[in-house]
Amino acid sequence: MSEKDKKYTVVEAPEGYSAPGFFATTLDKAVGLARKNSLWPLPFATSCCGIEFMATMAAHYDLGRFGAERLSFSPRQADLLMVMGTIAKKMAPVVQQVYEQMAEPRWVIAVGACASSGGVFDTYSVLQGIDKVVPVDVYVPGCPPRPEQIIDGFMKIQELVGNEPLRRRYSPEYKEMLESYGIKIDK
Amino acid sequence: MINKQMEYNTLLQKLKDKFGDSILSADDAADFFTLVVASDIIKQLISFLKDEQNFIFLTDLCGIHYPEQEKELGVIYHLHNLVENKRIRLKTFVTKGNPQVDSIVSIFSGANWMERETFDFYGIDFVGHPNLKRILNVDFMDYHPMRKEYPLEDATRSDKDDRFFGR
Amino acid sequence: MKTINSEHHLDLTKEDEKVFSTLNLGPTHPATHGIFQNILTMNGETIVGAEQTIGYIHRAFEKIAERRPYYQITTLTDRLNYCSSPINNIGWHLAVEKLLGVETNKRIDYMRIIVMELARIADHLICNSVIGVDSGALTGFVYVFEEREKIYEIYEELCGARLTTNLGRVGGFDRDFSAVAIQKIRDVMKDLPKVLHEFEKLLMRNRIFMDRTINVGAISAERALNYGFTGPNLRAAGVDYDVRIQEPYSSYNDFDFVVPIGQNGDTYDRYCVRQTELWESIKLVNNALENLPEGKFNAEVPAFFMPPKEEVYSKMEPLISHFKMVMGEIDVPEKEIYKAVEGANGELGFYVVADGGRSPYRLHFRRPGFIYYQAFPEMITGAALSDAILTMSSMNVIAGELDA
Repeated sequence: MSEKDKKYTVVEAPEGYSAPGFFATTLDKAVGLARKNSLWPLPFATSCCGIEFMATMAAHYDLGRFGAERLSFSPRQADLLMVMGTIAKKMAPVVQQVYEQMAEPRWVIAVGACASSGGVFDTYSVLQGIDKVVPVDVYVPGCPPRPEQIIDGFMKIQELVGNEPLRRRYSPEYKEMLESYGIKIDK
Repeated sequence: MINKQMEYNTLLQKLKDKFGDSILSADDAADFFTLVVASDIIKQLISFLKDEQNFIFLTDLCGIHYPEQEKELGVIYHLHNLVENKRIRLKTFVTKGNPQVDSIVSIFSGANWMERETFDFYGIDFVGHPNLKRILNVDFMDYHPMRKEYPLEDATRSDKDDRFFGR
Repeated sequence: MKTINSEHHLDLTKEDEKVFSTLNLGPTHPATHGIFQNILTMNGETIVGAEQTIGYIHRAFEKIAERRPYYQITTLTDRLNYCSSPINNIGWHLAVEKLLGVETNKRIDYMRIIVMELARIADHLICNSVIGVDSGALTGFVYVFEEREKIYEIYEELCGARLTTNLGRVGGFDRDFSAVAIQKIRDVMKDLPKVLHEFEKLLMRNRIFMDRTINVGAISAERALNYGFTGPNLRAAGVDYDVRIQEPYSSYNDFDFVVPIGQNGDTYDRYCVRQTELWESIKLVNNALENLPEGKFNAEVPAFFMPPKEEVYSKMEPLISHFKMVMGEIDVPEKEIYKAVEGANGELGFYVVADGGRSPYRLHFRRPGFIYYQAFPEMITGAALSDAILTMSSMNVIAGELDA
């Protein structure tokens, strides 16, 4: 079999039962498959990591291949909040406000050392990690992380999205977690 | 070299003639001409330098804190004569109890934010500034962080384990 | 003055009862590259006033610098104007060398010129392509970022990092340019003119782009000088002040290059000045590379230069100097200096007050972005909102430089 005849798998099919004419799987898996390949990120770029994100979106590393072609700067239309760069204490309420405005389901990725834990800047004005104000799903270390690392973080988010149970966002544990951050839940 | 020395001597003479005792010291040993002046004539001095000596460019304005001096807080101005390519540094010191310096926003519009930054970091009150409030730190901060008595880290942090940080 | 209401004979207001609305632009906004807030007061579509808030990324560099030894402050300077970190790094090293009185040989100077001009190219590429993006032309950005990737590869070869480079040491570099690095620089300099020509064909004489940028956000030379503008923004307003020419450092006076000047100080002039500076930087890199003299790649500054590890483990003097350096028992004169270099945005100055110890007593960064961004309300009063966006992106405001 030559190189040209090899079949390319664009997306791995979830587990399920298939026969000629149909494919049966659970609803979670089907919805997760659709969601994970069409995540709309909100690039919350504050500093140097933002420039590495611009490099990731450009033609060389191309985050658009993973479905994140349409960047949304409006939180109402975004799924994934990518916080890239240092968050100062002045900016922390803004991050929380943007997170509150996003509709469920929403995920957060903290890109860079500063967003994960304050980074090099252990000072009076820098928030030591955004997980003090919003719940974070994936942390990407680096100062700044290479585009390959950002894409790796994005793929881990895709894993989380693909395997998420549908009722997770309505469970009492989730509500409790949001309340512990002081995040208001819209009804 | 000698020419520069003569130029600075003539400039110093002119300043001494005009301002007399308010010029506290003048120094050419640093990289360029440095003057320490009393804080009440700083605005007239800068105005004189801009209008009559061609120092038309304000390069920088910053603050400094020397806790062991009597006049602890200082403001340091760097001016640049673009016509003859000369620089000059002016320093003026005030006490912590009465940290008032005239604002030079009416002479150089660029001093606006630089004075706000100096106020934010050192607490120096610039008299006549149109909008003297904090610029880089949060508005409700109640101390001036660059003063030497305040620490770098956030004093209210509770999650750092002292064992790992050698304290 | 006819208002739209009076034309349509709506039962509304007298002449002077205008309704001003407030529009919040930022801090998170796609067009503000970096986080700063502008609260605009608008009269319909026209901007009447702007109130700015910055400090959303204040990381207290100046306070951190009072704790760090001189050679560790380089990592802080990286993050000032992070689009062109090597210029900040080398500027800091020049400042420390001025403090210590260290002279560098020609090879080091030319190597520094190559690195700084590459960084200037990278910064101007971002700025100009982003002006295009903000006016709706996304293609230029994608073409030009590929070239920036190639410059990143050169940085990787020189120092290991792509963006926040921490390049060089006080007194020179930690390693010589390898043959791979020189070949990569040559390749990039060969390919860059073609890409730049393509980029220029997209925007520079494009009718839509010119209509959107000519006479937009103009500032006169007198106002620009009064505000303390430097760099391409000042040169676009007509004043030929370039620190590389006024106070040459690192052997820039060995080279012959043009400093472009604009006429009106509007957005189109800023774009063209940066574009011309790109071509001049390419010439400088080529010249410096052709005439790179032989020599050592670091000056003799034993107090700041870690000796090679093999010697530290086997000989006595390198071990002692390594120990002294890390412990901070080095001789630094007690004086104050101000050193300026021509950053991508203008005069980047370092005011160092040294007290003889390991860290400076006071370090102040004269950040060009902080100083010229003050003029933004004056430049956009009377303009439409879309003009304000273009003015902001043509001024190249980098948040790291604003807040430090």
